[in-house]
Amino acid sequence: MKVLPPLIVGIAAIVAWQLTVTLGRIAPFILPAPSEIWEQLVEQRQNVWEAALASGANALIGLIGGAIGGVLVAMVASRFRPIAEISIPFAAVISALPIIALAPILNNMFETTSSIPRRLTAAIIVFFPVFLNTLRGLREVNPIHQELMHTYAAGGWTFATKVRLPGALPYVFTGLRQASSLAVIAAVVAEYFGGLQNGLGSRITSAAAFTAYPRAWAYVVGACLLGLVFYLTTLLLERVAMPWRSRLI
Amino acid sequence: MTAVEIDNVTKVFNQGRSDEVTALAEVSLTVGDGEFVSLIGPSGCGKSTLLRLIADLIEPTTGTLRVAGKDAGRARRDQDYGIAFQQAGLFEWRTVRRNVELPLELRGMGKGERKARAEEMLALVGLAEFAGHYPAQLSGGMQQRVAIARALAVQPPLLLMDEPFGALDEMTRERLQAELLGICAQTGTSTVFVTHSISEAVFLSNRVVVMSARPGRITAAIDVDLPARDEAARQSDKYFEHVTAVRQALRGVPVESTT
Amino acid sequence: MRRILAILAGLLAAVALWEGYKAVGNPDGTVLFGVRVLPRADDLSMPHVWTVFQRLGRPELTGGRPVWIVVLQSCLFTLGITAAGFLAGAAVGLLLAVAMQRFRLVERGLLPYVILSQTVPLVALAPLVAGWGGTIMPPWATVAVIASYLAFFPVAVGMLRGLQSPAASGVELMRSYAAGWWRTLVKLRLPASLPYLFPALRLAGAAAVVGAVVGEISTGTRGGIGRLIIEYSREATSDPAKVYTAMLGAALLGLVVAGAVSLLELPLMRHRRHVEVVTL
Repeated sequence: MKVLPPLIVGIAAIVAWQLTVTLGRIAPFILPAPSEIWEQLVEQRQNVWEAALASGANALIGLIGGAIGGVLVAMVASRFRPIAEISIPFAAVISALPIIALAPILNNMFETTSSIPRRLTAAIIVFFPVFLNTLRGLREVNPIHQELMHTYAAGGWTFATKVRLPGALPYVFTGLRQASSLAVIAAVVAEYFGGLQNGLGSRITSAAAFTAYPRAWAYVVGACLLGLVFYLTTLLLERVAMPWRSRLI
Repeated sequence: MTAVEIDNVTKVFNQGRSDEVTALAEVSLTVGDGEFVSLIGPSGCGKSTLLRLIADLIEPTTGTLRVAGKDAGRARRDQDYGIAFQQAGLFEWRTVRRNVELPLELRGMGKGERKARAEEMLALVGLAEFAGHYPAQLSGGMQQRVAIARALAVQPPLLLMDEPFGALDEMTRERLQAELLGICAQTGTSTVFVTHSISEAVFLSNRVVVMSARPGRITAAIDVDLPARDEAARQSDKYFEHVTAVRQALRGVPVESTT
Repeated sequence: MRRILAILAGLLAAVALWEGYKAVGNPDGTVLFGVRVLPRADDLSMPHVWTVFQRLGRPELTGGRPVWIVVLQSCLFTLGITAAGFLAGAAVGLLLAVAMQRFRLVERGLLPYVILSQTVPLVALAPLVAGWGGTIMPPWATVAVIASYLAFFPVAVGMLRGLQSPAASGVELMRSYAAGWWRTLVKLRLPASLPYLFPALRLAGAAAVVGAVVGEISTGTRGGIGRLIIEYSREATSDPAKVYTAMLGAALLGLVVAGAVSLLELPLMRHRRHVEVVTL
C-alpha cells in the first residue's frame, strides 16, 4: 500500500514524458522519448555495463579509502581534544568547497592512464562527511552510560569498545549513506575534467558530442542505477550492522 | 556487619567560587546488613548526592564513607554494589540478555555462565521471554526492570537506587515495588533507595531517612515496622501512621525520631 | 573567533603537509607494483605554495591582465549563475515542501523520488542540458538550470522536515484557536522550520556551486571559473602554478556562497537552537 502513490507517480510521469515528446514533436537534443532511451539502453547494454563497472570500481575504491580514512581520523580526533577542536571547523569549511574541482590537479600529478586521480577525488569527497559524522557520534555519549561504566570501574579502552564505538555506529552510517552517493557522483563527474576516459562520465560526454542524445541519456540512466545500487547497498549494510534500529531514515 | 557507614560527610560543590554550594552538611548514617533504607526529602536536599558519594561517583569534601567495610573507591573497584538510575540507561545496541550480562562481562565471567546468570536475573524480574528483544521494543517499566536485573546480576551485597521508578506510572510503580521487595527478601541485599514519594518510602523500607533542603542534613530517621508488605498493607492504619510521621518530619514538625 | 583560529591552524597544517611532502617525496612519485600511488613531488606537478601566490600577481599571458583579476572576474561570473540557479532551485524546493506538507498524498508520491534523486549523479545530465543552450535558452541559463536542480533536492527535504517539526501539541493549540492551514503555516510551521532550512540551504549552496562549475565545463561556457580551470589545466606542463590559482578561485566561490547563507542566518536564527539535518 505504501508504495502505491510513488509507483503511480512514476508511471504517470513516464507516460506523460512519452506523450509530450512524441506528440509535441520535441527534438531529441532537448529531451528524447523514454522509448528511445530504453531502445538505446538495451542495444548498448554491454557498453553501459562495462562503463558502469569502471565507474563503479572507482567509486567503490574511493568510498572504501575515504571511509576508512574518515573513521580512523575521527577516532584519533575524539581521543585528543585539540585535534578535534581544530579539525571540525576546518573540515566543515572544506565541505562547502567544490572539491570536484581538484580533479584536473590530480590528473597532472599522476599519469594520464592512471585511475588513481578519479579514485582519489572520490576518496577526498567521501572523507569529510564520514569524518564529521563519525566524530560527532564518538563524542556524544549518553551521560547515564558514562556513569554506569564508572560504577563498573571500567577502563578507558573497555569504555571505548563497549560504549563509544557501538553508540557511534548510527552516526557512522549517516555519513556512509551520504558518502556512497557522493562517491558515485565524484567517480562519474571527475571524467568531465579529463584524465582516463573509460567510465560512464566520458561516455555521456562523447555521446552528447556526437549528438546521439538517446544514447547519452541511456548512459545517464546507467549512472543513476549505479548510484541507487550503492545507496541501497549501504542501507542494507546498515540494516545488518544495526539490527536494533527500526527506522531507516 | 554494616553495609554502609557514613561518618560526618560534607560535600561542597565549586568550593571557593562564586557559585559555591553546600549540598550536604555533616551527614552521618549507618545501613545495616539486609536493611532497606530510603532517603527522602525536598528537591535539592542532597539525597542523590549522598547516593553518588556512596557509589564513589563523587568524593566527599570532608568525612568518610565506608562501603562493605572498605573505602568507597575500593568497594566500587571490587564491584561490591549494584546501581540503578532513574533512566534505565540500557545499551540500545544490545539485546536485553546482553544488557544484563554487561557487568558480568566486565568482570571476565565466562560466556556460558554469564548467559545462565543473566537469564536467572531476567526470570527474577519476570522478563525471561524478552531476553532476545532489544530495549527499543520494551516499555519504560520493562526497561527499568531490566536495569534492576542488571544491577542484581553480580549478586551484590548492596543495592543503590536513585529514584528508579520516578519516570513510571503509578500502577507500574506499585507492581515494581512489590517485585523489588520480593527480590531483596530472596537475595538478602541491603538497599539504599532515593525517592521523593512518601508512600513509596514507607512501603519499601525498614527505615526512612528524612533530609532537609540545602544544605542537606538528616533531620529524622523513622523506623517503619509493618507486619506484612503487601497490597493490604497499603490500606492499613499502621501504614498511614508511618506516612503521616514521615510527612510531618518533612514539614519540619518535630517528631520522635526512633533512631 | 575560535573557529577562525581553528581554520587558520588547519590551513597551516595543510601547507606544512604540502611543503613537507615536497621536501621528502620522490620527485618521480612513488611506484608500488607498477602503479604510481604517491604523486610526483617535483615543482612541475606540485608547485610551491608561495609560487602559486606569486603567480596570482603576474600576467595571465604575456602582456595580459594579472591572473588574480582574471580569476576574480571568472568567479563573479560563475557566482552570478550560481546565485540564479540556487535561488530558483531553493524557491521551487520551498514550494514543493509546502505542497508536500499540505497534501499527504503529494508527500507520499513525490518524497521518495526527491530523496532518491540525491543518491544518483543527476549532475551527469549536465552535458545533455547543455544542448538546450542557444535554442530554448541562452547558454549561461543552462548552467543555472543544472545548479538549480542540484540545489532543489536538499532544500525540499530539509524544508519538509522543518515544516513537520512542530510537536502535535503546537498544532492542536492552533486548531483550538480556529486557525486555518495558512495561518498555522505562517505562524507556526514556517518559524519552526528555520533551524532545518538553513543547514539545508548550506548543502544546497555547495551543491549549486558544484553544479555551476561542472555545468560550465560541460557546456563550454566562457567567462566562468569552470572554463578557466580546464583552460589552465591544459597549460599545466608549461605553467604549473596557474591551474592552482584557478583552484583558489573555485574555493573562494564555495566560501562566498557558504558565507552568504550564514550571513542570512544571523538575524533570523538569534536565540534559536541549531539542529542537525539529515536530508539523505
